[in-house]
Amino acid sequence: MLTMKNVSKVFKTDNIQTHALRDFSLTVNEGDFVSVTGPSGSGKTTFLNIAGLLETFSSGDFLLDDISIQQLNDRQRSKIRNEKIGFIFQSFNLIPDLNLFDNVDVPLRYRGFNAKERKQRIEHNLDMVGLASRMKHLPSQLSGGQQQRVAIARALATDPRFLLADEPTGNLDTQMAQSVMSLLEDINKQGTTIVMVTHDNDLANRASRKIQIKDGRVSELDVVVANSQAIA
Amino acid sequence: MLELGLIFRALLRNKVGALLIGLQIALTLTIMTNAIFMMQERNAQMDRPSGLDEANLFFVNNTIFATDYNQQVALEEDLTLLRNTEGVVDAIQINAIPMSGGGWSMGLQTESGVGKDSVGVAVYMVDDHAINTLGLELIAGENFSINDIQWRESSQTTWPAKTIITQAMAESLFADDWHSAVGKTAYISQEQPMQIIGIVKTLQAPWNGWDGVERSMLVPFKMETMGSRYMIKTEPGRRDELMPIIEKALADSNKGRIIRRVTTMDDIRERSYRGHNAVNKILSTVIVVLTLITGFGIVGLAMFSINRRTKQIGTRRALGASKGQIMSYFMIENIMISSFGIVLGIAGAIGLNIWLVNTLSMSPINIEIIVFGVIVLYFVGQLAVLYPARKAANIPPATATRTA
Repeated sequence: MLTMKNVSKVFKTDNIQTHALRDFSLTVNEGDFVSVTGPSGSGKTTFLNIAGLLETFSSGDFLLDDISIQQLNDRQRSKIRNEKIGFIFQSFNLIPDLNLFDNVDVPLRYRGFNAKERKQRIEHNLDMVGLASRMKHLPSQLSGGQQQRVAIARALATDPRFLLADEPTGNLDTQMAQSVMSLLEDINKQGTTIVMVTHDNDLANRASRKIQIKDGRVSELDVVVANSQAIA
Repeated sequence: MLELGLIFRALLRNKVGALLIGLQIALTLTIMTNAIFMMQERNAQMDRPSGLDEANLFFVNNTIFATDYNQQVALEEDLTLLRNTEGVVDAIQINAIPMSGGGWSMGLQTESGVGKDSVGVAVYMVDDHAINTLGLELIAGENFSINDIQWRESSQTTWPAKTIITQAMAESLFADDWHSAVGKTAYISQEQPMQIIGIVKTLQAPWNGWDGVERSMLVPFKMETMGSRYMIKTEPGRRDELMPIIEKALADSNKGRIIRRVTTMDDIRERSYRGHNAVNKILSTVIVVLTLITGFGIVGLAMFSINRRTKQIGTRRALGASKGQIMSYFMIENIMISSFGIVLGIAGAIGLNIWLVNTLSMSPINIEIIVFGVIVLYFVGQLAVLYPARKAANIPPATATRTA
């Protein structure tokens, strides 16, 4: 489903080159729940951004659903992000001026669904995260955990095959973090592939696969599920 | 798919900036449309034909200082000299210059007697060469004959028996059928009869701001006066060449007077409408400055909005928005703000115009000007938001994960 082979990412300033990823190789199969851990500055977010087509990479090969990402232009990358990938951010990234209904509506509009289809998907996904009754509320009227649930509903509204979560519990207390984690586990059980970046080892251990990144490389690979494999 | 509803609802939650820009657009439209309208009215006034062959006309002032000056003899000699000068088509003595700002006016009425309604008219005292010299178009009746011309002393209060009037004057005197004016009698100084023997199409009065500027009459007088003017018509293209020649010839022919102010009708027109031109320039400047301020205001608001929403834009990109969709967002947002301002501005423009009509007797504004103003402001809005929108579109999607 996702294959990165010798992917490197170099950030250049006038005098300095920073290697955020070096010959990074990883394969994520359909249905995996992969946790990615590592110290700050190890390249976790860069990996996630490249995996989510939020950033380009300097060299190497990256296939997503057998599509070579390197060849795609910005418009094609936007389309794939919208159709195949769902994002969950550490600070939720809900749009503060829009209510929950409209927040979940945003990616559906980019997808081009008609109003009836959008309404159905919004209500379904907000119901799934237990917030259907609050769809006219603004994000500021919700707790952090509830906001992250809305973000999950938004990420799932387009039926992505691939869910990328960047520290999804980083801004939540323990109880809310557990609740969000349980929700992600349920989503994974329903067949959605999840890659989650986290600092929290307890949460990372709940994933079906755990990888550790250090200095831009996969430093440890813990294969938990039999059909998962990785090229280090 | 367009995000109209989402953009509108987001705008409603951040309405102060949008409201202020909307009001600025409204003010700009209000002032712009009425300023354009005022300019158009001035331009229309400036474009009115004077009825004269302006390009080939000039006049000179003849100021007599000699005590033994025989005015009648000198005038005939001067006119003979002028009319016989090579390159001169014709010449007349005239008491006032159209558009110059100074002249004579009287009242004409169709019934004799004190207290009867009269119509104000500019009086030009001329001889039978006037129609040819001034280049007037005689559309009915006939010209004066040489026998119609009388000498007028400076204190004289009686008037000749014949007159030629303009079409506008004929329409004012005989509203039902101005064509029938020829042969009819009008009364000047309330009871002195003058027979209308001809109608000329156009001859403007000396006062361009007068609402009866088209109402003039020719009176067959030669004036015995210490200060008079000669209007000279030259062959096409020879005016400037002949002006100094004629000035010198007149000055040399009689040392008892001064020839001065040799002036073309083009100069008179320019001086006459100098105020109009100045006001038009001021109004143009106001329009341009206001429009620029509005444009910069839109740029400022959009830039502020984009800087405030950088992460939000990155998130939208992460959720699948293309660069084009991000640009569209801000362009559509601007259309919404502009539309709010434009609706208010249309009401303001009409309201201001109604006030101007009621207080300054202006005519009602043309709908075309409002439509023009609306198009200009939509265009300026879209142009102003183009750079900020492009900047927003270039915010990388990774901003969603890399900013706090």
